[in-house]
Amino acid sequence: MPDTSTGVVVIGGGSTGAGVLRDLALRGIDAILVEKGDLASGTTGRSHGLLHSGGRYCVNDEQAAIECVEEGRILRRIARSVVEDTGGYFVSVTEEDREWEPRFVEGCRRTGITCERISIEEARRREPALSKQVRTVFWVPEDGHLDPFFLVVGNVESARRRGARVMTHTEVSGFLRDGDQVTGVRIRDSKTNEEGTIACQAVINATGAWAGLVARLLGVEVKVVPVKGTMVVLSRRLAYAAINRCHKPGDGDIVVPGLSVSILGTTSAKVPDPETLPIEWDEVRRMIEEGAMMLDGVTTARAMRAYAGVRPLYDLGAEAEGREMSRNFAVIDHQQRDGIKGFTSIVGGKVTTYRLMAERVVDVAARQLGVGTPCTTAEVALNDREEPLDQLRHRPSRLGVPKPHGDESPLQPLLCECELVRPQDAAPWFKDPAVRDLEDVRRRTRSGMGPCQAAICSYRLAARLVTDRDVDGPSATRAMADFLETRWRGVRHVFWGSQLRNMQITTGLHMELFNVDRQLSEIPEPGENLPPPLAGEGQGGGRTPAEIAGQR
Amino acid sequence: MKTDVAVIGSGLAALAAARTVQQSGRRVVLVWPGLSSLYFVFATVDVLGYPTATAADPIDDPAKGLAQLIAKQPGHPYARAGMKAVEDGTSLMLEWFKDAGLAWEGSLNRNFLLPTATGAPKPSCLAPASMTAGDLRRPEPIVLCGFVGYQDFAPELAASNLKQQWKAGEVSAVRVTAPGYGPDRLFTSIDLARSFEDATFRDAVAGQLRDKLIGDGARVGMPGVLGLTTPNETFAAFQRSVGHPVFEIPTIPPSVIALRLFDRLRKHLQEGGIEIIWAAPAHAADVTDGRCRSILLKAAGHELPVEAASYVLALEDWVDGALRAGVHTVRDPFFHQPVAWHKVPTDRAAESLFASQPFEQIGYALTDRLQPADENGKPLARNVFIAGGAMAGYDPSGTKSRGGMAIATGYRAAKEALAA
Amino acid sequence: MITEEFEPVTDTVEEEASVEACTKCTACNTVCPVARSTDIFRGPKALGPDMERFRSPQEAAVTPGLDLCSGCKLCEVTCPSQVSIQEYIRRAQNKGAREKGRTLRDWLLGHTRLLGRFGSLTAPLANFGNSNPLFRLLMERFVGIHRRRPLPKYQWLTFERWFKRHARPVKPRRKVAYFYGCWVNYNDRRLGERAVAVLERNGIEVVVPRQQCCGIPAVVNSNMDLARRYGHENVRHLTPIAEEMDIVASSTSCGLMLKHDYGHLLDIPDSERLGAKTYDIMEYLWMLHEAGELDLNFETVPMRLLYHAPCHLKSHGIGYPAMRLLRLIPGVKLEEVDEGCCGISGTFGVKVEKYDLSMKIGSRLFEAVKAAGSDQVLADCETCRMQVEHGAGATSAHPIEILARAYGHG
Repeated sequence: MPDTSTGVVVIGGGSTGAGVLRDLALRGIDAILVEKGDLASGTTGRSHGLLHSGGRYCVNDEQAAIECVEEGRILRRIARSVVEDTGGYFVSVTEEDREWEPRFVEGCRRTGITCERISIEEARRREPALSKQVRTVFWVPEDGHLDPFFLVVGNVESARRRGARVMTHTEVSGFLRDGDQVTGVRIRDSKTNEEGTIACQAVINATGAWAGLVARLLGVEVKVVPVKGTMVVLSRRLAYAAINRCHKPGDGDIVVPGLSVSILGTTSAKVPDPETLPIEWDEVRRMIEEGAMMLDGVTTARAMRAYAGVRPLYDLGAEAEGREMSRNFAVIDHQQRDGIKGFTSIVGGKVTTYRLMAERVVDVAARQLGVGTPCTTAEVALNDREEPLDQLRHRPSRLGVPKPHGDESPLQPLLCECELVRPQDAAPWFKDPAVRDLEDVRRRTRSGMGPCQAAICSYRLAARLVTDRDVDGPSATRAMADFLETRWRGVRHVFWGSQLRNMQITTGLHMELFNVDRQLSEIPEPGENLPPPLAGEGQGGGRTPAEIAGQR
Repeated sequence: MKTDVAVIGSGLAALAAARTVQQSGRRVVLVWPGLSSLYFVFATVDVLGYPTATAADPIDDPAKGLAQLIAKQPGHPYARAGMKAVEDGTSLMLEWFKDAGLAWEGSLNRNFLLPTATGAPKPSCLAPASMTAGDLRRPEPIVLCGFVGYQDFAPELAASNLKQQWKAGEVSAVRVTAPGYGPDRLFTSIDLARSFEDATFRDAVAGQLRDKLIGDGARVGMPGVLGLTTPNETFAAFQRSVGHPVFEIPTIPPSVIALRLFDRLRKHLQEGGIEIIWAAPAHAADVTDGRCRSILLKAAGHELPVEAASYVLALEDWVDGALRAGVHTVRDPFFHQPVAWHKVPTDRAAESLFASQPFEQIGYALTDRLQPADENGKPLARNVFIAGGAMAGYDPSGTKSRGGMAIATGYRAAKEALAA
Repeated sequence: MITEEFEPVTDTVEEEASVEACTKCTACNTVCPVARSTDIFRGPKALGPDMERFRSPQEAAVTPGLDLCSGCKLCEVTCPSQVSIQEYIRRAQNKGAREKGRTLRDWLLGHTRLLGRFGSLTAPLANFGNSNPLFRLLMERFVGIHRRRPLPKYQWLTFERWFKRHARPVKPRRKVAYFYGCWVNYNDRRLGERAVAVLERNGIEVVVPRQQCCGIPAVVNSNMDLARRYGHENVRHLTPIAEEMDIVASSTSCGLMLKHDYGHLLDIPDSERLGAKTYDIMEYLWMLHEAGELDLNFETVPMRLLYHAPCHLKSHGIGYPAMRLLRLIPGVKLEEVDEGCCGISGTFGVKVEKYDLSMKIGSRLFEAVKAAGSDQVLADCETCRMQVEHGAGATSAHPIEILARAYGHG
């Protein structure tokens, strides 16, 4: 891994890190983002994807609510292609919920959240699946769905077009220092263990729940409390808009429909280590039971998988526990606090306010670097160029329309039939050095995220690793198996009904027809033989997917 | 609706059972709850590929391997069906294939070792004649051929893998264009199979292949799309035109090789006067005094009782509804008996997808005559017999034994039904 | 020993057909006659359960390719998970039509009864026009009806009016209500006469209640509101009668609407009671036979017959009762021609842009019929019979006509 240099190194490829990278790029500051996994593979990609109107925070966490209101409006402007403007409902089910209502209405008023009480009949006309137990309904038009993967990728691509670089599957193993001044980072390829360095003038620590671990490499403390949240994915949209319980935020009180699925969320439990997030059956069961209080059909819907994410709550020293801790964020200027120059951390917060968080931390870092250019991320659209990301929604209509007769326009093939991903949606990513395995392709395309959980598309993607990336067959097969295994790990927790039946298609195809189980025993263990990085940015010159797409 | 024997199911187990009853001269009705989802797994009939779910070395002689397995595991579906059912069932099926005009090869004493679409060698006992030239026990070099823009068979992936696992000869990959299908155009296995029945298309493909094949003696592996309704003629004509031995490799679904098999067997039964009731899933058994009086079908609008002297319940596996998994309880679809209970769903699924799966072991407890039994070992109904994936211990994935188990249990259950 | 503890989460097993039950096995795609005949059709899996996950009442319907679905329902017949594939396709297509409007042609084809009434009133003129090449050219040009598609002949005397004058049997053992459908009423009264004759021969009094078009032409022409209106009307008129007697239908698709689609596809409340008492006429006669009530004094019918099972008959889930019945008749040599869908699918093969596809779908059947060289092709469905006559040049009949002949009627 060759050594390189830049202005600012951003650690962390979640929404915050991606937002920081774009903010730096828009201010003209040269930057490299370093992420130990893939983009959006930590907290962001494991969120439920609610674009918060702020309604969930308006009673207990006014400042967070106000930020959500403003940021939500900005995102609708700059990131239209990743926002589904569905609106949302706050519904009361129990007597306790009813008692919360006046506080909720007052909170919305104080924080400027649009909120309207509507009749049960009207609510049911709009959302026929609303449970019979629902007593009161508030319409909150500024709730929405935010696709976390495309949000991060959109930010990173926007930054890359302005010269920023990104290195995924690259871990920061230490810092280079010159006295009090941070002068760079030591990096290690997490797949090949190759090492290298990036010399820089400043480092921004945007690693969320991992911020404490990164800061410790410099011998300073950042108190982050990792709080686990477990979510259950249902195989279709039970509702069109987000459904929140109108009460003090608690477990299982939200259903977020987005794209083709509904996500039931979420639990809240402090965990010692952000890497280890075991899913308990009780959590899965509670998500389903609580979801069923708001929406009919939750218990009989097909659960596709369960997953857990980790919130990066910043410990402000208050006595608050888990969910009661503020969803606010904080910029830690380590020069001021710890006397270390060129190192800034951003902690806390949530996906909806990622842009504001980035703006605040870059303000601090830029000031230290002596750059006075103001932030423009609220004005410049994410997809400020014609590119595939602009067309992600309503995909069925883009699949080729056969004319009634005569000159039929050809039907386009699909790579992932469940999530309607076309080969050309995936093709550029095989040329991207930041994409290192099939999970990385999944995050950028949604391939494999439908009911069959990659049974079919995993083969097609593995084939492309060989043809489009010059990977050898055994490595591609291992990548296919790893991809299926990551899907399987989520499916195991909801192993009943149709999802169980569907998994027999997976075992039938991959074990009985392909004999992959025996084939794997002939292939070296993962780690030794995965797709190598392409020569590319951070590794020595290359092109971004956007450039490639531009040339096609 | 009255008959002698009612067979419920549409997979190989049900077909074997229906054929067995047909041969005896008794009346049989076949109740199809839809096509078996696992038809694509039946591109070949795998009797026993490996002695255990994790053993590394494939079995050469399935009959010998089976004898050992039966001796070691008396509760295994194979042991319950018995060696005789395996042998007689297999001969019955091979004869049937011949009668129905399907060209199949193989015997219980020898497994083929056939390359899969991922390039893994896989032991299979019976296979369509169009696949057997791919046998990896033969040394001739192999050229795997795909089509530009066709995603469901990847010659490069398969060839690269096969090179690692098979050292007897050279392996290479080529792609040819499918005339009329551009790379940006959707085309499926079925489209290709249909096109292959057209001589012009076939010859154009063969022409491209001939240009790319250098040297003598190579055999050509094609995706299993060589013909849909007239596969024998299509395959022979294509092979002639290529001038090299050709073999097919089953693709990801929809698999044309399996489609041909199932289409033909179903038709052949119907030609023989056997009635198939479509679209009426059986959902309850009416049992009084230990005998099943009728099986209730969900027909359009009303329930259709099928009254038979005996019944073979031969749903292929979970995916066809042979068992129904609730969150905690697994029930059978006829008697609605709980056959398993799990505190947490993860108890049913191993941590790795590629491990032996606990859920595959779930199924009816059986009597020696393959009747479903209660917890005391007494039959739930004297005149009902089980074949296929609803049997406890029916786990074909690791040992590669689905086809053989389906045939053996289908045959044996039908014999018991005839004797009941 | 299995213990069942209290289960806080219900056992989520899809007892009802549901989009979520789809396991992406592609069984439906392998049997779809349209997918087998053209490569411009994405197949039932894609247009049904796959895209259904992306559809939402709040967003505009996504309709590309939906009109190529002929509505044969073989996908549903084949689905091992009992997914109502057709219903998703129809609902989406209907939503699209509501949003974007439908063509005059599709509006007309949905109004079979209106066409029938007009056609039979002006029978000689209508029949002349329907067989006049110039008129047909204009019809193709301005309406979109393919000029080579033979259209059914209209008859001046409708079945309804014939039945009013028909003398009732003296001492019936049973009563049954006859749902004759538009075809018998306006195009093929003779079929109705024979159905009545066969039933009466078996001591059954036939009642002809007030009835409306079953609605299937409206359903397949993206006019589900109209179909629902028809359905409501039929449920209102027929349910009280169904309390007293069984209802039989001689058209496969009409019968399927009454039995199943009113309750499922059209969500018509209280239609289950009507559905539960409705039988296909051959199904009903076979039940009589199994109860020992069918008159087996058949005359010999020395005919070589070929039976084509209509796709919608498979959807009934009753097997092929016509074949069982006809095999009881001495002299009948009966074979099944098992070559799948005939391709016409009601009004599908009538349309100018679908005609060629429709003929291609049926081509295997036509070849088989020609090769068999039998005296007559039998099919329970009227449009199947039209298609076989047109495509294979064969003569055709409803199986009940053979039974009538065996009883000495014509």
